[in-house]
Amino acid sequence: MPKILVVDDEEHIRLLYSEELKEAGYEVFTADSGYKILERIEEEKPDLVILDIKMVDYNGLDLLQDIRNHFYDLPVILSTAYDTFKEDMKSIAADFYVVKSFDLTELKKKIAMALETRLP
Amino acid sequence: MAFYEENPRHISKADIVVAIPSFNEAETIAFTSERADKGLTEFFGNLRSVLINCDNHSTDGTKEAFMKASGEVPKIYLSTPENQRGKGNNLRNLFEKVRELEAQAVIVIEADIKNAAPYWIRNLGQPILKGAGYVCPLYVRHKYDATLTSSIIYPLTRCLYGRRVRQPDAGDFGFKGELVEQFLESPVWTESVQHFGVDIWMTTIALNARLPICQSFMGSPKIHRTKDPYAQLTALFRQILSAMFDLMSVYSDFWRLVKWSKPTALFGMDAQEVATPVPVDVNMNQLHERFLRGFDDYLGVWESVFDQTQFHKLLEIKSLGLQHFSFPGQTWARILFEAFKAYLAMEGEQRLTLLDSLLPLYLGKVLSFVKKTERMSLQQAEEYVENECMVFEENKPYLVKIWE
Repeated sequence: MPKILVVDDEEHIRLLYSEELKEAGYEVFTADSGYKILERIEEEKPDLVILDIKMVDYNGLDLLQDIRNHFYDLPVILSTAYDTFKEDMKSIAADFYVVKSFDLTELKKKIAMALETRLP
Repeated sequence: MAFYEENPRHISKADIVVAIPSFNEAETIAFTSERADKGLTEFFGNLRSVLINCDNHSTDGTKEAFMKASGEVPKIYLSTPENQRGKGNNLRNLFEKVRELEAQAVIVIEADIKNAAPYWIRNLGQPILKGAGYVCPLYVRHKYDATLTSSIIYPLTRCLYGRRVRQPDAGDFGFKGELVEQFLESPVWTESVQHFGVDIWMTTIALNARLPICQSFMGSPKIHRTKDPYAQLTALFRQILSAMFDLMSVYSDFWRLVKWSKPTALFGMDAQEVATPVPVDVNMNQLHERFLRGFDDYLGVWESVFDQTQFHKLLEIKSLGLQHFSFPGQTWARILFEAFKAYLAMEGEQRLTLLDSLLPLYLGKVLSFVKKTERMSLQQAEEYVENECMVFEENKPYLVKIWE
């Protein structure tokens, strides 16, 4: 069962993602901030990370840089309420992005694509 | 080995090399060399560094201008024989020299850049010393600059080899010294690779070597001394596409297994200022005329090479006229895939005719891109390119099917 780490400071988003993604067959664990996120990834070894861009204490795009530099091929999906983040070049280090919504169809599609991406 | 070498300080070992390939660049090479020297001393002062000019036996005083350029870093001049041209041949001499010097990191920077900055050397070199295998620059570009990259080189490279390297043929690179072994042993060393095809050849080899690739944000556009994108378009188009097709044939065991694509690591995101690119004018009427002329010149070639679906789609696109012109991404991707398959079954002149027949189609694709994006910002146009890349990736199973 693929493991997904959801990093988001909004509790209702963490709950929504957890419930729906568990139902979809994923193992889900969450973090409410970017604090020690690299250590967390090292310990839990997720197959994919869903990362909020705007958190109270952390900038998701900076966290994305750190994740990419330490875990080169770990799939990361940016999750955001606004699509203005695309103006920031840092966002191209993400595998995909989704705009936050209560309908997770798009997110699930992107998760499936990210997990089936294959490079020999 | 290079046909000719000057190594006045008898340098036999180096940690980091900055190479400047050239042919008749006396006017600008001193500036590029001085900037590279400054970059090396400022950012890599603790390493043994060397500047190498790998030249095509220039007759305008390039060697003298390079050797006399001010700076502290030792210099080496290499040259091909008098009648041997091409950036690829210059770089081959460099690869051999790097092997001899046992350098850890190599940076290549073009000789004719008017605005090279010392921090470019840092951005191309530092990721290598931190563990990346290959670095491509990310220059700020206008949406209509480098349309060959946006329409063919980027989407095709990305869908084939699975990495999103936006400017894989920018002409400037950083790479791990040990990668020269793979360059020197490559089975693809064609006339095209010896000339314009060498940039995408290097990136493709690095991708297939499964090395960590990094893209470095350069914060500004690259301004060449002279730039007329259409002056050498036919030769450029032929050479780049044939190099890509030859590499596709060699690396089929790799690309057949690649599904979707992944991003790369990024470097240089601390750029203080981001320059605005100079707008590029596009003549839509001229692009349309050249697209239509393709039907007079190559209709028979297209009919014999492309599947009926693609062929009929081309006739449909022709009938749209300039006002409603549109060239769908799926048709474009499948045309390139089918052209690759046909290319493999051909030889000599037939191949050249096929490659030349794709040029008017490419110009039609550029026209379609310009029409779709003329009111878009750079970022919106960039998103459009990303979506086109997804179309290539979605159609990859078709390529695998016709290949098998």
